[in-house]
Amino acid sequence: MRTASSRSVTVAVGAVLGAGALLTAFPFLWMVFGSVKPRSESVADPPRLLPREPTVENYARLFGELDFGRYLGNTIAVVLISMAGVLLMAMAGYGFAKFRFRGRAALFFLVPATMMIPVQVTMIPAYLVLDGMRLTGTLIGIALPGLVSGFGVFLFRQFMTTVPTEMIEAARIDGAGEARIFWRIVLPLSRPIVAVQIVLAFIGSWNSFLWPLVIAGDERLYTLSVGLALLTRQIATSPSLQMAGSTLMVVPVLVVFIVFQRHIVRGFTLSGLK
Amino acid sequence: MKPSLAPYAFVAPALLLLLTFGVLPILVAVPVSLTDLNLAGLADWSRIGFVGLDNYRRLFADPGFWQALANTGIFALLGVPAVIVVSFVAALLLHRSENRFFRALRAFYFVPAVTAIVAVSLVWGYLYNTQFGLLNHLLSVAGLPPARWLGDPVLVKLSVVFVAVWRGTGLNIIIFLAALKAIPQEYLEAAELDGASGTRKIFSIVIPLLRFAFLFVAVTTVIGWLQFFDEPFVLTKGGPLGESTSMSLFLYQEGFSAGEFGYAGAGTLVLFLIIAGVTLPQVRARRTDADR
Amino acid sequence: MREKPRLALVVAAALLMLAACATATPGGGAAELTVWIMGDSSARFERLVEPFTDRTGIAVDAVAIPWDTVDQKFTTAVASGQGPDLLQIGLSKLPAFAASGALLTLDERTLKSHPGLAAANFLDGIATSATGGARVSVPWVSDTRVLFYRSDLLAAAGLTRPPATWDELRTHARTLAGQGGGRYGFHVPQWDNTLPVIMTWAQGGTIVGADGTIDFDTPAFQRAVDLYTGLYADRSVPPDADFDQVQGFVSGTSPMLVSGPYLAGAISEAAPQLAGKWSVAPIPGGAARTSLLAGSNLGIWGTTDNRDGALQLLAYLAQPRTQLTWYELDAQLPVSRAALADPELTSEPLVSVYAEQLRDAEPLPPVPNWDGETGKALLDALNSIVLTAANRDTALRGLYAATTGTPAT
Repeated sequence: MRTASSRSVTVAVGAVLGAGALLTAFPFLWMVFGSVKPRSESVADPPRLLPREPTVENYARLFGELDFGRYLGNTIAVVLISMAGVLLMAMAGYGFAKFRFRGRAALFFLVPATMMIPVQVTMIPAYLVLDGMRLTGTLIGIALPGLVSGFGVFLFRQFMTTVPTEMIEAARIDGAGEARIFWRIVLPLSRPIVAVQIVLAFIGSWNSFLWPLVIAGDERLYTLSVGLALLTRQIATSPSLQMAGSTLMVVPVLVVFIVFQRHIVRGFTLSGLK
Repeated sequence: MKPSLAPYAFVAPALLLLLTFGVLPILVAVPVSLTDLNLAGLADWSRIGFVGLDNYRRLFADPGFWQALANTGIFALLGVPAVIVVSFVAALLLHRSENRFFRALRAFYFVPAVTAIVAVSLVWGYLYNTQFGLLNHLLSVAGLPPARWLGDPVLVKLSVVFVAVWRGTGLNIIIFLAALKAIPQEYLEAAELDGASGTRKIFSIVIPLLRFAFLFVAVTTVIGWLQFFDEPFVLTKGGPLGESTSMSLFLYQEGFSAGEFGYAGAGTLVLFLIIAGVTLPQVRARRTDADR
Repeated sequence: MREKPRLALVVAAALLMLAACATATPGGGAAELTVWIMGDSSARFERLVEPFTDRTGIAVDAVAIPWDTVDQKFTTAVASGQGPDLLQIGLSKLPAFAASGALLTLDERTLKSHPGLAAANFLDGIATSATGGARVSVPWVSDTRVLFYRSDLLAAAGLTRPPATWDELRTHARTLAGQGGGRYGFHVPQWDNTLPVIMTWAQGGTIVGADGTIDFDTPAFQRAVDLYTGLYADRSVPPDADFDQVQGFVSGTSPMLVSGPYLAGAISEAAPQLAGKWSVAPIPGGAARTSLLAGSNLGIWGTTDNRDGALQLLAYLAQPRTQLTWYELDAQLPVSRAALADPELTSEPLVSVYAEQLRDAEPLPPVPNWDGETGKALLDALNSIVLTAANRDTALRGLYAATTGTPAT
């Protein structure tokens, strides 16, 4: 019931949120404007937000001399491979949610445990494992350690406990195989949470730094974040160039978020997070 | 069609990966923490020596360890409530309307969460710069003396926490927003009919209904903040003089960077036990909750 | 709902194909060398070695390693036993890498057929810098510290020439800072753990005792501490940890500072309009005018399968001609004596100062972990005195306790 006072409250809230949004996104705006400044302007004192002479030379350098086009390609490849991880996490979530099996409690206890250790401690063992599997120096090797996350399995399990068991039982009685039930019934019903996980997996693999650095034997396999780290020398690098690299890393993720926005909110809604 | 094997088939691939890349390192850290493993030992296993609990003794005798532990506690106490409150309030406000403007605003609030940490460090390092940064420039324009955002022992903690809160609210806002949208409209209308005011509605109805979301956000945020690493690493490298060093950063600097893997292993186990001790009760509570 | 399985199959197939083609071909056999190069210089390095490949038929693949991450790369390589063929090693990391045993020992026999790699061809001090005296690397590029100064700002303050001694520098700095307006005279980077050592050398002392271990408890070091803390007490230097050197120099906030040749490039790029208004001079001295000798060496991975090729590449890179070309390409100073004496090189005014300084430059003592331990203890002690007003004697005693006895040979 939209009364006049209710509408003015909405407008007021909108204004507050708008101001908050500008403040929140201000560093991001600084980054974007900084990326089109020539080097001499990036160290200007007093600082100015808008460039006086905007230039695309920084982006030209990124894609020309600095090979960021290749890094972009590698990053996209890693992201695509991570999508397989979403499937694996969905399967695990379904298994934990809808089946009773021996060891379920103990195994599910391990899931949050994996979120409780700092990532550096996993570096050497993970590298040795991948080396043993001959996966170092490959894109799959880069994507593998981050493919599955305890957080994701947890979310899937939460959601899938809300899938009506009767539908699954009915399908079993009809003679459908387990795989078919998963594919045809459970996954389609889980579309919202799958959308959420796809976006989370996208963000995680897009920004990942440690694994691409350590597992890529050759800079031909470097991803964007490693490429950006290459630009960070002690004193001599142009800040505008670094801003350009950073902007390049943020903008695609933002686009993905905007496109998938509605699904994400719906996904969390339906995942039983009330 | 072997119903008894099916669950294992579903669970196995993800679990295998989690065990290999998540649990195995913890198990490895246990024996390693009892040795003096370093670079030389890594190259040639015969050069590894057993030192018993020496690493632990060294750890607990290291003032840097206690400072890092205290800092981590301060960070968590400051950051976790801040993230939860700010995310919830922002979500409440964003929930006000579904129109296009409000939906667009969501993207702005989400930006910090998706920005790579390298980019975050560049921009915030610049904003916070004592001599040439934007914040102090604004202060000087207002006639105020410059603040040593990253140089003052007390202020540095707040500055670093602020950046982490700025980054951490994005995803949680979305979670709360989704939870809010799941509240059936009838509950709220019934309360209005009963004469409940806005604030009363929030506290008596909304928050209890969102109990689960709160728990979820709280647990994941606590786990994240106890492992606080990115922001101090890129903004201050733990400085000045260790005032912004967190446990993870301490482990990284004293252990991994220095090639002291035995020492780092001991520290990792201590950190793991702390995190597990703090979050396990909460996880247990939620599991029984969801199982009903 | 029907297309979902098909879509999934298509995606899966695409992923497999992508993964298959995207796998990098494993490092080649005898006809290819993999070289780890720091920072983003790898593309230029590959241009540098084109003549080498033409002559010997050995292809060279340079891999760029971000500076901050060299520890992680080296550690995982050591853990798995799989590394590159050659790798660039910063001098401060050399002791740790040498101690790991992962590098090939370059003894008399190995170097017999490569006279160009003999220590005498290079600047003193870095050819044999390693633990236990065994040589595991060959010098590659050099770096040093000189005084950068804004000649225009100094002239405006009535200072006609750059300071030649640290006492002069302190006075100059006081004058410049005295002009007010939030300006300083000098900049002491709070992360620079080499400056106090340089100051000690200038006092005629050293931080290594007669027994070859670290010893800070000397009169020369005390005088260096006086100088360091004095600059802060005079308020001639900014007390901020995040003070940006380039901006400080360009804006005139810190018209003098000590840094390396890379700063010159940064200043020229950031402020081309300042050309002619700044210059470099040898580092101030006292009893001695010794500066820091830094830089990187190149080492051969112990288990490389192309030892001869690697040695040939090292010999090529050590040639004066190659060293000079690398300076042109990447602005990193040569380390070969002949190259540093080249008249074309030294005809550049800035470079002549660097070359002159390199003739009187010392490397840091090769302790096991300079950046993480000894140097860190040094910085922590000094910074606690100047930033937190800690008691000087207590802080220094803490430093001695933490560092005395560290092996430095």
